[in-house]
Amino acid sequence: MIERLKDLWLHRELLFNMTRKELKVKYKRSVLGFVWSFMTPLIMLAVFSLVFSILSRNKYMSWFVVYLMAGLFPWLFLVNSLMQSVGSVVGNPGLVKKVYFPREVLPLGAIGANIFHFVMQMLILLVFLVVIGWHFSILILYLPLVMLLEIVFATGLSMFLAASNVYLRDVQHFTEVATMAWFWLCPIVYAIGTVQGVLGKYFKIYLCNPMTNIVEMYQYIIYNPRVYASASYLSGPKRQPPVVYLSFWGITGTIIVSILLLVFGFFYFIRKERGFAEQI
Amino acid sequence: MADYAVEIDDVSKMFKLYHENVRSLKEKVLFFNKRGYEEFWALKDIDIKVEPGETLGIIGANGSGKSTLLKLMTRILYPTKGKVITNGTIAALLELGAGFQPDLTGRENVYLNASILGFSKKEVDKRFDEIVAFAEMERFIDNHVRNYSSGMYIRLGFAIAINVDPDLLIIDEVLAVGDEAFQRKCLDRIEDIQQSGKTIVFVTHNVEITREICSRVVMLDQGRIVKQGMPRDVVNYYHQFMETEAEARERGNRQIEILGVSLLDEQGKAVNDFQTGDNMRIRVAYRANEPVDDPVFGFSIDDYRGYTAYGTNTRLKGLNLGTVTGEGYIDFDLTALPMLEGRYLVSVAIHSRDEQTEYHWLEKLFPFDMHSEITEDVGLLFIPSEVSFHPEEEGADGT
Repeated sequence: MIERLKDLWLHRELLFNMTRKELKVKYKRSVLGFVWSFMTPLIMLAVFSLVFSILSRNKYMSWFVVYLMAGLFPWLFLVNSLMQSVGSVVGNPGLVKKVYFPREVLPLGAIGANIFHFVMQMLILLVFLVVIGWHFSILILYLPLVMLLEIVFATGLSMFLAASNVYLRDVQHFTEVATMAWFWLCPIVYAIGTVQGVLGKYFKIYLCNPMTNIVEMYQYIIYNPRVYASASYLSGPKRQPPVVYLSFWGITGTIIVSILLLVFGFFYFIRKERGFAEQI
Repeated sequence: MADYAVEIDDVSKMFKLYHENVRSLKEKVLFFNKRGYEEFWALKDIDIKVEPGETLGIIGANGSGKSTLLKLMTRILYPTKGKVITNGTIAALLELGAGFQPDLTGRENVYLNASILGFSKKEVDKRFDEIVAFAEMERFIDNHVRNYSSGMYIRLGFAIAINVDPDLLIIDEVLAVGDEAFQRKCLDRIEDIQQSGKTIVFVTHNVEITREICSRVVMLDQGRIVKQGMPRDVVNYYHQFMETEAEARERGNRQIEILGVSLLDEQGKAVNDFQTGDNMRIRVAYRANEPVDDPVFGFSIDDYRGYTAYGTNTRLKGLNLGTVTGEGYIDFDLTALPMLEGRYLVSVAIHSRDEQTEYHWLEKLFPFDMHSEITEDVGLLFIPSEVSFHPEEEGADGT
């Protein structure tokens, strides 16, 4: 284990180069190149803002775009990381069969590129909020930590999926379908308070989804519901605004699960890695 | 434990050959994941220790396990049984330009490829110009690799691996590419690497190259070591081995039959080894199964590449044998064999004067080895030569 980490450290430059390669290849032969990595979130923001300013019947509704984006950008990071890393090993037979290097570099490189896009998107969002004069909560300072938590979670899961996909190619297709269903299990386009009412006693199970908690954290620190949620949403139990539902156990549980998942994913990957060249 | 550069300790490698490559969940569930497969042992009980500074050649027919062995050394594959231990940094050239990204420029690919091989940007910075010069790519280094010709691709790949200065260089059958000048350059560079005390492991079908650059050669067949040792011995064994593998070629209607062929030295002893300058007698014993009018006896000597070194027959020598009956033998006397080191094959034939009827023809069935004390000179043949030096004395006669 220590050996493996050392080996990975020796290849840190490769990891960096792989990440750069992913980014460069993504924007190959495009005139704007890297500009696209902030153009995309910017245009998304513009379109959603326009749509909701037309649809909105009250001022709270028009803040919805911020609520949406606070959850959507992190979600896109997760999905893109998973989808790109799940195929990263099987997609590079030329390398895996012909050259030795720590194979972790393949999924990690894919994640690295997505981290870059994700950071861009969040910066764009913050700049956008500053421009429109958003009242930030002091909790916004936690943003890097929450992002780190999500990266840990995404990395662990990606390593597991990338390794198992080598042995069972269905994993790739399954991931595609599963993430689509998973999206609706997270309170991204709807408010968690709505489900709380519908699910009743099953609400606790709903909260076991780590991504729900992670999305909630983003919404809580970016959207700042104490200021922006309408009064009707602020009458939840213990004066918690149910537009965002966070509990101590939700947060600690998610942190523990993410770290365990990273350790498990890494172990699983290096255990399976020896057979990669034969299986591809 | 001694510090070997590579230590291959009783290694076997088994591949599962699945009858059908099914990898879907449905099949897994339906067949309870019990697909039929055959075991295929690509390598069996391999024990090789490579000393630091050694150049080891690995030869063998197709499918003998050479590439699998290299992949085990580079940790691309892992042994089913046994251990592989390597010391120091490794650069492996299993395929040139593996991992080149067509949409990046040559320059970016040099850095990416070097980091795949495990070398840092700093190290590459130092050698970048050297790499580009070696590949002769100065003009194209900032072009996208997708626009490169296959020759450029290969040159750049080779230049990277060979210039990043690994402790152990592993090369699989890649010297065969590139034009002759580039090959020469690569061999020179390999010599430099040898001189700097680095270890090289080297797989090739061009076994003659191993004579030139290896200090030791291992020959594999069907996953086992069949011979190892001095390049000369192993390479000779290899040629012999490949001959017996090849279908023996014998043809003719046997109106006259060749009973036996012996290669005799000056004492009249049948031998298979000759020194440069020795005399040789090729004795062909025959039996005419029915009387044959005017047959022609002939022989030729070919080297292992199939080039005929020399050949003649009784017709060319102006000999008329008349009607041949019964048994007897015919001697061809060769004086002062001029060939240097190498393996040669003798063919013997009896045919009619117009060569329309072949009585008995034995193609390349009788091998012998040439040895030579002249190891400094190069070439196929020894040509007696003298050298004298005549400088024109400048200024001595006042001009």
